[in-house]
Amino acid sequence: MTQTEHLVKRMANDIGGLPADPIVRSEHELEPWEKRCHALADVLDFHKIINTEEKRRGVEALGSEMVGKLSYYERWIVAFANLLYQKQILHPTDLALKMDEVAARFSSEPTASGS
Amino acid sequence: MPNAHEHDHPHTEIGQEGALGYYDLMTRAVTELLIHKGLFEAGEIRRQIEVLDSRTPALGAKIVARAWVDPAFKARLLANGRAACEELGITFYDDTQLIVLENTAQRHNLIVCTLCSCYPRPVLGLPPDWYKLKPYRARAISEPRAVLAEFGTIIPDNMEVVVNDSTAIVRFLVLPRRPAGTDRFSEAQLADLVTRDTMIGVAVISDQEPRP
Amino acid sequence: MTDASSIPALDLRALVVLAIGEKPDFSEGDKVRVLTRSPIGHYRVPLYLRGKTGVVQAVIHPMAVDNEEEAYGRNAGSKGFYYRVAFAMAEVWPGYIGSTNDGLRIEVFQTWLERV
Repeated sequence: MTQTEHLVKRMANDIGGLPADPIVRSEHELEPWEKRCHALADVLDFHKIINTEEKRRGVEALGSEMVGKLSYYERWIVAFANLLYQKQILHPTDLALKMDEVAARFSSEPTASGS
Repeated sequence: MPNAHEHDHPHTEIGQEGALGYYDLMTRAVTELLIHKGLFEAGEIRRQIEVLDSRTPALGAKIVARAWVDPAFKARLLANGRAACEELGITFYDDTQLIVLENTAQRHNLIVCTLCSCYPRPVLGLPPDWYKLKPYRARAISEPRAVLAEFGTIIPDNMEVVVNDSTAIVRFLVLPRRPAGTDRFSEAQLADLVTRDTMIGVAVISDQEPRP
Repeated sequence: MTDASSIPALDLRALVVLAIGEKPDFSEGDKVRVLTRSPIGHYRVPLYLRGKTGVVQAVIHPMAVDNEEEAYGRNAGSKGFYYRVAFAMAEVWPGYIGSTNDGLRIEVFQTWLERV
């Protein structure tokens, strides 16, 4: 067996039965943007623009570092961006420019933080 | 702890004064672009937020209480969970099916999604963070009794523990055992006893003081 | 007027030819083994289950798309059966500590199972 075969055979999210820490009973109320992200996922699935399984695969495809360091909904939205590029629905440049435009719109307002 | 970062940082990153968090920005930008392309309408996102807000463990609790008081409904619920919920007006906005798992004197059920975070959202709402993180997902499937003990739930050895891993189109809801002392409880009082954690299966409902 | 309960059941199965794929390969009670192939990329059968033997508890209805194909954008067509399969904990986890009756249940698509 090569040294890296195990990385290919076991996806980073396939953790059933692996050793792990005691459970910490963390909970949090969703931030407004997280709720909007979840609603976006449901609307994308309803229209089959990105179905739920595609989303799961897209999150896995972020790779173990991003999967480990981004929070749950952060992983979803980055995965959506990548999936939309793959489907040629969006182009990376369009998204980058739109993000700049939205950022400028919000920084010109006296109070912000998502709602 | 390697994955401490998963939930020890604040969820809204406020950057510069008045700036949006990076992922909030990304979500808004993706949404606006797709609406502009006509792939869906802004109203659909707003509506789906309302849908999500309306799905809470209180719905699951009402289903459980109804199953406790109505044996014919309980039989239908165990035969086809989704159809029985739809009978009560709880729609499923996706293509998932629902299997309701009855806890008995012989068997205790719990649910997990080892590969991701599948959860019966149409009837329970959104899952707690711990359900989606590594410790629960890795260990509930291989050492359920130890996991249950961490939640303060001890299942005697003469009962079987069954762990249900959702990896496909079926979602699960645990039907907890009706506690003793509740013969004179109303259906609403029964529903008040049923918590989210008892419908995931990490907790059980304690016996009650009988009402006069 | 005839009482409805006295009318014999009507079974037309002998008249009907099922299309390929319409009849489930496995039924409740069948002993099945999870295959041991190693997909590169997306899969929905966890490593802990590969090669394990269990018993079919139920055929899931309705037929549905293979979730491993769905992950690459297949939203319709080529539907098949998922099976709810029961595995003993001792079968899945060597050295399992708990009751010998403890088990796990999981849905597995037809392409991952063979009859034992």
